[in-house]
Amino acid sequence: MSHTTVTYKGSTQARLDMRWLSDAAQRAEGNRDIANREIMAGNEKTAIGELFDIRGSFTDDEIVLENSNSKMDYIGHALAAGSTITVKGNCGHYAGAELTGGTLKVEGNVSDFAGCAMRAGLIEVSGDGGHYAGSAYAGAKKGMAGGTILIHGNSGDFTGDLMRRGTIMVVGNIGDYCGSRMIAGTIANLGTIGKQVGVGMRRGTLLLPHKPKDVISGFHDCGRHSLGYLTLLLHELRRPKSLFQSLHPMRRRVQRYMGDSAVGGQGEMLIWIG
Amino acid sequence: MIINGVIIDDTFAEAFPMRATRIIITAINYKWARHAAETMTGFATSVIGCNVEAGIERIIGNHETPDGRPGISVLLFATDRKTLEQQLQKRIGQCVLTCPTTAVFAGLEGEGQIALGKNLRYFGDGYQTSKKIGDKRYWRIPVMDGEFLCEETTGYQTAIGGGNLLVLARHISQALLACEAAIDAISLLPNIIMPFPGGGVRSGSKVGSKYKFLNASTNHPYCPTLKGEPDNVLGKNIEAAMEIVIDGLTKEDVALAMNRGIEAICDLGKSQGIERITGGNYGGKLGPHHFHLREIMHESYNRYI
Repeated sequence: MSHTTVTYKGSTQARLDMRWLSDAAQRAEGNRDIANREIMAGNEKTAIGELFDIRGSFTDDEIVLENSNSKMDYIGHALAAGSTITVKGNCGHYAGAELTGGTLKVEGNVSDFAGCAMRAGLIEVSGDGGHYAGSAYAGAKKGMAGGTILIHGNSGDFTGDLMRRGTIMVVGNIGDYCGSRMIAGTIANLGTIGKQVGVGMRRGTLLLPHKPKDVISGFHDCGRHSLGYLTLLLHELRRPKSLFQSLHPMRRRVQRYMGDSAVGGQGEMLIWIG
Repeated sequence: MIINGVIIDDTFAEAFPMRATRIIITAINYKWARHAAETMTGFATSVIGCNVEAGIERIIGNHETPDGRPGISVLLFATDRKTLEQQLQKRIGQCVLTCPTTAVFAGLEGEGQIALGKNLRYFGDGYQTSKKIGDKRYWRIPVMDGEFLCEETTGYQTAIGGGNLLVLARHISQALLACEAAIDAISLLPNIIMPFPGGGVRSGSKVGSKYKFLNASTNHPYCPTLKGEPDNVLGKNIEAAMEIVIDGLTKEDVALAMNRGIEAICDLGKSQGIERITGGNYGGKLGPHHFHLREIMHESYNRYI
């Protein structure tokens, strides 16, 4: 499949606003027009052509971003269905923010707020995620409202803060305050999890392999159950290629905790049994 | 057309358009899935008196059901979308939700969507939770054996109701035997139900009545005790007529079912007392779909001769 290759050739340490990449993909703009456009590099305007080498045309469905680094923010911003951005390197903040159906594949790490306020699509990170994955913009009331974030490494604190819908899958460990103020959706991991899990959680599901060290007082033990919907959920979790595929779809025996009762929440924390 | 001594009448069976849906009921084992399916398809023989025609389509293996448990697929047919939705709601609510360990899922993509768990969720009294998995939304309703899992909507489509064939035999036991053979053959087909008891009908009806308050009444030309009446069509040797009514998702499904049914009856042949096979022809008053028996049996006839 043909793709457009965008290679970063600059060495600036300033932060780059990469929203232009999604704009170009969706408008299928010509290379010359793109190269002449100016973006913010730190507090200065710089032509895209001075910072990036572009091969191919943006009419292709896939864009490959090479030599990227953690100073590049908003990679894959609002990317629509049918478009794919593959990042060979790290991403800065807000990777895949406001995604509306596109696919962002990162062969590296992402910084904070990955998938912030996304509505549909897939973000796949081969490395680690930062804090606030799938959360809301600062001050906003709702986080991600659909789609999937798959992190093959670890995720930071406040994963899924104010999450509204969708799925966050973390193969590794998750930091503190996972699922804080969660409104709905699913967060699943295969590693360990930090403190204050589900604080302020209203609805939604946290699917964990181990019981957190300190289950907060707002969560109440509802006993052990075999939940039929977990088979459907596991089929979905097993869809992208990841270690989640090792989970058998009929594995649905869990210890169920409900909370956070401090906010009248009916969210659930499910811990695998057996 | 005569196959194995059985006369195939040069007539057609009339059928009419309906709206149909399919749901999949799963449970901890087939026993409980069947309990739910049989209960919800009870009193659903004819739209004339039951508003809906429903039946078990087939048993579904664990590997085919959404939740990996044993399942049964059920087809429901009604004259319009609204009635279909109402009947589905009532029957799921009273017969499936109440049945231990069951869950219910959509079984049809269809032309449009009708509510399945969308309104049933309120039974959860605020403790119900929804889960959107992929493109589908499911409702989890807390019940006394755990959770009742129910997909929010299911699809519906335009379908065919009232496909039929009539078996005319020398004795009632022979007519029954022929019906059973046909029903067994038709039961193997997908997208088909035979909504009447056991698949057979002894009280076939004609359109209209001498009484103004009835829109259907006994099909007196086929009643053997009225053979002396001038418009009775049963011959001297015929002592019993039996009907098989077929509802299907498409015209092709109904035609194939009729073909398999007639073939099974003809396999028994005249030696088993089967005299004639005909169709419920009401002169076009019942519906626009006409299944011509000889067209349906054309290829089979060539094989027999």
